[in-house]
Amino acid sequence: MSLIELKNISRAYTVGDREFYAIHDINMNLEEGELVVILGPSGAGKSTLLNILGGMDSPTEGEFFFDGRDIARFKDKDLTDYRAWNVGVVFQFYNLIPTLTAYENVALMKDVRANSGKRSVWNKGDVEVMAPENAIAAVGLSERMDHFPSQLSGGEQQRISIARAIAKNPRLLLCDEPTGALDTNTGREVLKLLQDISHKEGRTVVMVTHNSSCAEIADRVIRVKNATVVSDERIESPKDALEVNW
Amino acid sequence: MLIRNMFRNLFKNKVQFISIFIMSFLGLFVFVGMDSEVAGFTEAEEAFYNEYGLADIWVRGMKFMPDDIDKVKGLEGVKDAERRASVKGKFLLPDREADMYLTFIESNEISRIGIVEGETYSSGKSGIWIDYVFANKNSLKCGDRVKLKYEGKTFDETVRGTIRHPEYVYFLRDSASMMPDYGFYGMAFLDASEFPLENGTEFNELIIDAEGIDNYVPVNDDEKAVRKSLEAKIREVLENDTLAVLDKDDQLSYQTFRAEMDQHRGMSFMFPVVFMLISVLGIITTMTRLTKRQRIQIGTLKALGLSKSVITMHYVSYGFFLSLAGSVLGALAGYKYIVDLVLTMMADTYLIPNPRGKLTSSGVFVIAASVAVATLVSFLSCRHQLKFPPAETLRPEAPKHMKTSRFEKSALWKGLGFATQWNLRDVRRNKARTGMGIIGVAGSTMLMISAFGCLDSIEFITDWMYGQLNTAGYQIVMKDNTPYEEVYEYAVKYKGQMVENISAVFEAGEIDKNGTVTVIERGSLLHFQDDDFRSEGLTENGIAMSAKMARSLNIWEGDFVRWHLTGDDKWQKDRVVQIYANPGTQGITMFRKVYEQHEYKFMPQMVLTNMESVKDLDDEAVLGVQDTKGLMRSMDEMKKMMYMMMAIFISAAVILGVVVLYNQGILSYVEKIREMATLKVLGFTTGKIRLILQLQNVWITIAGIILGIPLGKLLLYGIMADMPEQMDYRGIIFGPSYLYSAAGTFVLSTLVSAFLSRKVRSVDMVEALKGIE
Ligand SMILES: Nc1ncnc2c1ncn2[C@@H]1O[C@H](COP(=O)(O)OP(=O)(O)OP(=O)(O)O)[C@@H](O)[C@H]1O
Ligand SMILES: [Mg+2]
Repeated sequence: MSLIELKNISRAYTVGDREFYAIHDINMNLEEGELVVILGPSGAGKSTLLNILGGMDSPTEGEFFFDGRDIARFKDKDLTDYRAWNVGVVFQFYNLIPTLTAYENVALMKDVRANSGKRSVWNKGDVEVMAPENAIAAVGLSERMDHFPSQLSGGEQQRISIARAIAKNPRLLLCDEPTGALDTNTGREVLKLLQDISHKEGRTVVMVTHNSSCAEIADRVIRVKNATVVSDERIESPKDALEVNW
Repeated sequence: MLIRNMFRNLFKNKVQFISIFIMSFLGLFVFVGMDSEVAGFTEAEEAFYNEYGLADIWVRGMKFMPDDIDKVKGLEGVKDAERRASVKGKFLLPDREADMYLTFIESNEISRIGIVEGETYSSGKSGIWIDYVFANKNSLKCGDRVKLKYEGKTFDETVRGTIRHPEYVYFLRDSASMMPDYGFYGMAFLDASEFPLENGTEFNELIIDAEGIDNYVPVNDDEKAVRKSLEAKIREVLENDTLAVLDKDDQLSYQTFRAEMDQHRGMSFMFPVVFMLISVLGIITTMTRLTKRQRIQIGTLKALGLSKSVITMHYVSYGFFLSLAGSVLGALAGYKYIVDLVLTMMADTYLIPNPRGKLTSSGVFVIAASVAVATLVSFLSCRHQLKFPPAETLRPEAPKHMKTSRFEKSALWKGLGFATQWNLRDVRRNKARTGMGIIGVAGSTMLMISAFGCLDSIEFITDWMYGQLNTAGYQIVMKDNTPYEEVYEYAVKYKGQMVENISAVFEAGEIDKNGTVTVIERGSLLHFQDDDFRSEGLTENGIAMSAKMARSLNIWEGDFVRWHLTGDDKWQKDRVVQIYANPGTQGITMFRKVYEQHEYKFMPQMVLTNMESVKDLDDEAVLGVQDTKGLMRSMDEMKKMMYMMMAIFISAAVILGVVVLYNQGILSYVEKIREMATLKVLGFTTGKIRLILQLQNVWITIAGIILGIPLGKLLLYGIMADMPEQMDYRGIIFGPSYLYSAAGTFVLSTLVSAFLSRKVRSVDMVEALKGIE
């Protein structure tokens, strides 16, 4: 069984009196441990798809199975629970809480898990929240732990936001244009981190980008255009992130 | 971690949050202060009445004989009764004659004398027991020989002690005075055997300790019923149908203190309500702004898996903790500081021993209410940003879609100029924020108007009473029972106008009220005005009723009223032909001719005159001469209190104005920062942008002032209507006060807005356009 199965997923918006699809009739399966890049031009529906995968938005049609449960039918509370246990998110603009230090931003994940409760259906007793120090060490920023986001560079902020995402030990790591605001070198380092998380730790990583060079590091590249999937190819020997050029 | 986040946010938005804290603080500061004062003062009052056994019933209207006491004592429900003579005499000081209430008693079991210093009283003991304030202010000591005068007869006494008395918690020099000035006049107790007149002690009063009436305040309905039933029995057993049988509510001392406490209680509630209103406005603006600014943050927290309830709680806790901390600290500070302040002020007016603050459960209740309101309002203000799924919250909020109105397509619109157009659109799009601004300014104006109005009203009433209605410079007060012919001589000699005041009971339908019947001789010194202050002559064809009495009896011109004089058994029924307004005495007024048609004899006790030579009058028949200017001076005391009230109101107005305007200003500033940056990029100068922003502020201020003026009038009328029953004070606002209030509000608003618009210069175009913190 795949970790994620999307069946005829659509997301419609009504603007004014008109209804249109941000994504339409999408079918795909994602496997445990895969590094998937979703590629497409602006407005194609990439972020919409990612939001649905992350339980941040609900599809208007279709079924979305995660580990056998239909997330598409979840309501607010269950979605929160789903996010708390399974999903780590990395945003294009980092979205760190400006009033918390790097350490505290990561430590916040403990609150998230505690708040979600031990009785969650996702709690199999085998996932612990990482100690914030370890998560930050994993992204190589132990020195900067007590800095506030405004005292960190963009790349550093993005690494902290990755540390925050992996601290939960999520089964699914979602990244929306994680390198979008970064220069080439810093971007490479961030990509490397994501690749390691997928390859060394065996987590499913889904990365959205419109930059095809980033796609070279993926195990699998899914192209979307005009709200639908246009191609889905497996890459046998992905490039190492540090060799990517753009 | 969220707690830390909260503290850092609190720190970042300290001005707004401090203002919320201060409002909660002030509300409870004043409330608990006043509430504890009222509770503690009332407790001291009850203790005082208990300790000295304040009488339950007073009977007046005849001369009481020894067997009358026995008859009354024999009645069921009467525990004890005493007779006494209460008269008004003079105390001869080296430089003047002071008015002195003299009470000659036979025993001291009911309404007992409270010794401050000196010997206790016992039946038959000679000497005088004199009120301690009078003794202190005039340096009298126990053992001093003093001189008194009653009915022209001078007599000597030895001071046995200084005292206080449960019936003299509050007393005035005479019925024309408005405020006490203890020490200038006084009260004293003596044994009945000391009564100075030859034909025996004039026992004109009977006091009763009754079954079923206690000393706890206020007088309740059961106790009223006891009085009613005893009233009938007493009249029967003493064979006198016209006796006045009074309870505590009819006593000036008791009743004034009660009214004062009620007024304090009313004020104590008004303040938390006003401040809570300000704090609610503050919370709404601050929390709406905070959650709006932290929209992306909220989306992020949600995306990370924090539940809606946790995030809600996070934002709600700002309001919760701030108002909790503010209220509790305010309550404690109020208990510590306000109570003593008010008690010290009151101690000069009400002679009650050992008043001390007392905490009550209402404090806890109001704290809970204040916290609950703050929490609820916080919840409502942040709800909007929390109800959408994170995918939605993570994107910047779409501007509200607005259809262009027909007005915006008209030719007029095009002629308005950019600044006006821009502001009109902004106002339309932010109705709630604009509304809040207007309410804040209106509240501020309201408080200022009523503050100035209080002063104006006192000013007006002084002039009304002593400048318009009574234009006499002096009032010659005659001794009781001076024959008419003698009074008439004075009237002729000093070209005066004769007046008689008799207390009476008025009745219409179910309602009955105590008041005064005023009978006047034709003359040019007393004037009358209708309810709208238009001059008119007093009717020749019947009785006229004062406006407040008419209102409380629900009587209109042409209705009938039943009335009878105290000490007379005949009920009269008359049509009220005229209604007149008078701030002082309430009741009915008629010409002597009308009075005599009722078959009463005109017995004037007062001659009004403008001739200065009466000042030094020292005749046998004259009790005293009052100088109108002196009466006006007693109003100054009142003014002092009004000044304090005004100071409180104006401070509240300033705080309200600053908090609301600053909040609404900074809120619109944050919302408009992008637009401003765009305008800057487009080449508008900072000065021009400032002007655009201030224009809106000017509109809001003007709208608020227009709304605030009638509200201020209403508040003023409310305050004036709260005055004691026998006063008919009108809320009056003079022209300049409107100007001061409007100008004050305007200046305040302009200062705040100027302060805010300084921020425009610091708008960083690049940062603002990039947005998203
Ligand atoms: N809340 C919304 N309301 C209306 N339309 C929306 C909303 N969110 C997204 N859309 C529309 O759905 C379509 C897909 O949006 P999406 O954000 O998924 O694009 P994207 O592929 O991520 O583009 P980009 O690379 O520019 O980020 C777009 O046309 C967008 O305008
Ligand atoms: Mg996108």
